[in-house]
Amino acid sequence: MSIDELRRRIDEIDTDLVALLNARAECALAIGQAKKAAGLDLYQPARESDVLHHVQHINGGPLDDEAVKRLFERIIDEARRLERLADLE
Amino acid sequence: MVIVMQERATGEQVERVIAQLVEMGFDIHRSTGALRTVIGAVGGKTADPRLIELLDGVQEVLRITEPYKLASRSFKPENTVISVGDVRIGGDEVIVMAGPCSAETPEQVDAAAAAVKRAGAKILRGGAYKPRSSPYSFQGLGEEGLRMLRGAADRHHLKLISEVMDISQIETIEKYADILQVGARNMQNYTLLRELGKSKAPVMLKRGISATIEEWLLSAEYILAGGNMNVTLCERGIRTFESYTRNTLDISAIPVVQQLSHLPIIVDPSHGTGRRDKVASMARAAVAAGADGLIIEVHCDPDHAMSDGAQSMFPAQFDRLMAELRIIAPAIGRSICLEPVARRGWSR
Repeated sequence: MSIDELRRRIDEIDTDLVALLNARAECALAIGQAKKAAGLDLYQPARESDVLHHVQHINGGPLDDEAVKRLFERIIDEARRLERLADLE
Repeated sequence: MVIVMQERATGEQVERVIAQLVEMGFDIHRSTGALRTVIGAVGGKTADPRLIELLDGVQEVLRITEPYKLASRSFKPENTVISVGDVRIGGDEVIVMAGPCSAETPEQVDAAAAAVKRAGAKILRGGAYKPRSSPYSFQGLGEEGLRMLRGAADRHHLKLISEVMDISQIETIEKYADILQVGARNMQNYTLLRELGKSKAPVMLKRGISATIEEWLLSAEYILAGGNMNVTLCERGIRTFESYTRNTLDISAIPVVQQLSHLPIIVDPSHGTGRRDKVASMARAAVAAGADGLIIEVHCDPDHAMSDGAQSMFPAQFDRLMAELRIIAPAIGRSICLEPVARRGWSR
């Protein structure tokens, strides 16, 4: 594939990624509401740890496990922020 | 802030720190490195970094924002210019305030006012309420002194700055003076600062004798937070181990403050050195370093002054200094009273 074709492919994947990240964020928001209703803390370290283990376990590369972990740490950070902001409304 | 975890910090310790930060309202940017985890915490309320530093596994907490807001350059990028009538402090012109330490007699105040006006000063300085180190020293003439100072300022077309030591004096001094000075000893008198925040009068806040620049800007924040945005800072020397000079004048505070804050900064080389023969050198240095103004003690008979005679300049010395400053100021793109009212002989 040419560079142009590869870049188009990346753009398509990014479009899917943004849609998937937002679908994930919707779930996180719903969980945030459920946590609030159940009187649970916003920050659930055990669950975050499970998520990180899961994504590393299914990782087939070429990203190494640590890279996948760091990427998902950021995704989780943003989900937590979204839940906090929703809670303020 | 940025929290750097220790190399051997456990997952539980990292979680404990995140939980604390989330509880404090921060958003987290967690970054797990090969050796250590770094946690970025943004938003949230201003937190005492020690609360985090004390948690297990924490190596270091780095604050990335200043604890003061209204005084900070990030809050207001452009320089603040304070108008006192037609005198503008913080603009291109270097403003010189000069006069006696204390008002003593109408004749003494008038002679000093005439001398400093002739040399190019824009503002008369003079104390009526004096914070003296010893309770047995001359304490100032009070309102009678203010009347003398106001009269002399008006006769010689000068603005007037005078020190306020206590809340009870604000109303009286406001009647006579154009700028209220908070002395070094009162820099952390927070009740006084709060009260001055309610005033509309320009305030000049001197740096405390052992205050860090951060503490000084936090004191300015008290006045600004009350709604009075007319604050000028004044570096007047800090206490160090050096005893030859009365204080050590911190010239480096000028560029530091100008980076951190939008407020004008002026320098007091008289208290900064405590010695008449060292005042001119430090005044020249202050202007060269970019100070927005100077406040200098000038007395026509300093050897018989009732306070601070040793650091008061003779009028002829002050004349000569002003002439030198007229050469220095343009070198850094500033002006300083270009037209002296009258030239006199330069004799020391």
